[in-house]
Amino acid sequence: MTAPAVRGGPGYWLHGYRSMLRFEMTDLRLYLGLALVIQVLIGAGMAYMYGFYLGDLPPDARLFLVTGIPALALFPVGFVMVPNAIMLHKYRDTYDFMRSLPVPRLAASAATFTVFSLLALPGTALALFLAEVRYDVDLSITAMVVPAVLLCSLMATSVGFGLAHAVPNPRVTNLITNVLVFAVLLFTPIVVPIDFFPDWLASVHRVLPFHHMAVVLRASLSDGLVSEVGVSYAVLTGWTLAGWGLATWAIGRRR
Amino acid sequence: MIEAAAVALAPRRAGPRHWWQGFLAMLRWEVTGMRLLLPLTMVVQVLLGAGFVLGIGLFFADIPARAAVFLSTGATVVTLITVGIVLGPQLVVQQRLAGTYDYLWSLPVPRSASTAAWLVLNVLIAVPGMGVALLAAAWRYDIDFAVSAAVVPAVLVTLVAGTLLGYALAHAVPKPELVQLLTQVLIFVIVGFSPINYPPENLPAWMAGLHEYLPFVHMARVVRASLVEGLVDGVGRSYLVLAAWTVVAAAIVVWALRRRK
Repeated sequence: MTAPAVRGGPGYWLHGYRSMLRFEMTDLRLYLGLALVIQVLIGAGMAYMYGFYLGDLPPDARLFLVTGIPALALFPVGFVMVPNAIMLHKYRDTYDFMRSLPVPRLAASAATFTVFSLLALPGTALALFLAEVRYDVDLSITAMVVPAVLLCSLMATSVGFGLAHAVPNPRVTNLITNVLVFAVLLFTPIVVPIDFFPDWLASVHRVLPFHHMAVVLRASLSDGLVSEVGVSYAVLTGWTLAGWGLATWAIGRRR
Repeated sequence: MIEAAAVALAPRRAGPRHWWQGFLAMLRWEVTGMRLLLPLTMVVQVLLGAGFVLGIGLFFADIPARAAVFLSTGATVVTLITVGIVLGPQLVVQQRLAGTYDYLWSLPVPRSASTAAWLVLNVLIAVPGMGVALLAAAWRYDIDFAVSAAVVPAVLVTLVAGTLLGYALAHAVPKPELVQLLTQVLIFVIVGFSPINYPPENLPAWMAGLHEYLPFVHMARVVRASLVEGLVDGVGRSYLVLAAWTVVAAAIVVWALRRRK
């Protein structure tokens, strides 16, 4: 009896990708509901909250704040929901099962990226809309909003994915994501200009992706508020590739 | 014919000495039970308090003095409240899930003594965080706090009210997942939508009005009045509101602990 031929090739890859998409989408309604709630809370909720802390803001500051909200709404899906989904597999001991599925690993990961990156879009739009209404600002939405949102969402998903796979203990991942949310909401120049920050902290943020997320999104939603947008795009691309690299290394290693 | 022998039951213990022994025993129990978590929890409280104080300052190009004072004094109140309202229910939830909840409440210790021990533990956890938050604020925003003796009753009332509210939440709500969800929502509301860290005029009028009936702004007022001069009036009224809420929370706790499952 001959062993079955190892399947490969682009047709097989696409088939695997589509199958994993279907797999990821079984929980889609739950994820979508959860994402909407989290994103509106963190996006629009924080918009209101910052407003209460800051008091009456001049129009420029208000526009700056509102154009930062999409970044706030996007990061929880990639940095919290994706790691949580993977942590759940680890807690329920289905992690190895997922890895054992006869699907190319890249196809499975690509399916996860696709689903979660797109999942973040409605909540982001809703959070932005609520913030815009609250602060009564005029957004100049350009076509660049499409690549900006897609890149930010993909970056957040990729890094969250890589992180969740690289850290073996799910409790540590949980701690990291909680600290991350706290740090991002309080210590990042997303809703306020980076000039407000002390130099050392500003330098840290030029390396981290969060400030750059805010920059590319702000550039696509307003006129003249930000500069060096190309640099931000480059940094975000770098982080996305780093996330993929981390995930590849983590998934590929023997345990 | 078998005659049932009269069984001599041990005399039922009661009285202040029994209460005090029970209290000490439960305090030892709580501290020992948390001995691994306690330092970590205290560190987290300290980091949260100081972190919050410093972090919010980053959102201002130049933080106005009034905002800085509200933020600093408010952050201390938030550290006090979160121990009781967030940490407490989470611990009870863990106990429920681990099955130790029923065991703890079956111990032959007066329930009020157990609760008091838990309160003392909360004080141990919360006060360092409060102190560090104040120090961080004094350093960063150049504030001179006029700490008066009233800080002791203010902090105690805030902690007692917060702890009992957390206890009421944890004991009255049967499902642990719901308790966790409610504590998350509560912390969100407290930090973002209560005029603790910022003056009430920043809120819409209806929200500020609603908060007059909730305990949070009153906790902020009594603590703030003991830390700075001249910023708060109507402190007496705040104490009364807090006392009322404490009584309500205690009543809920008593009711929840007494009911049979």
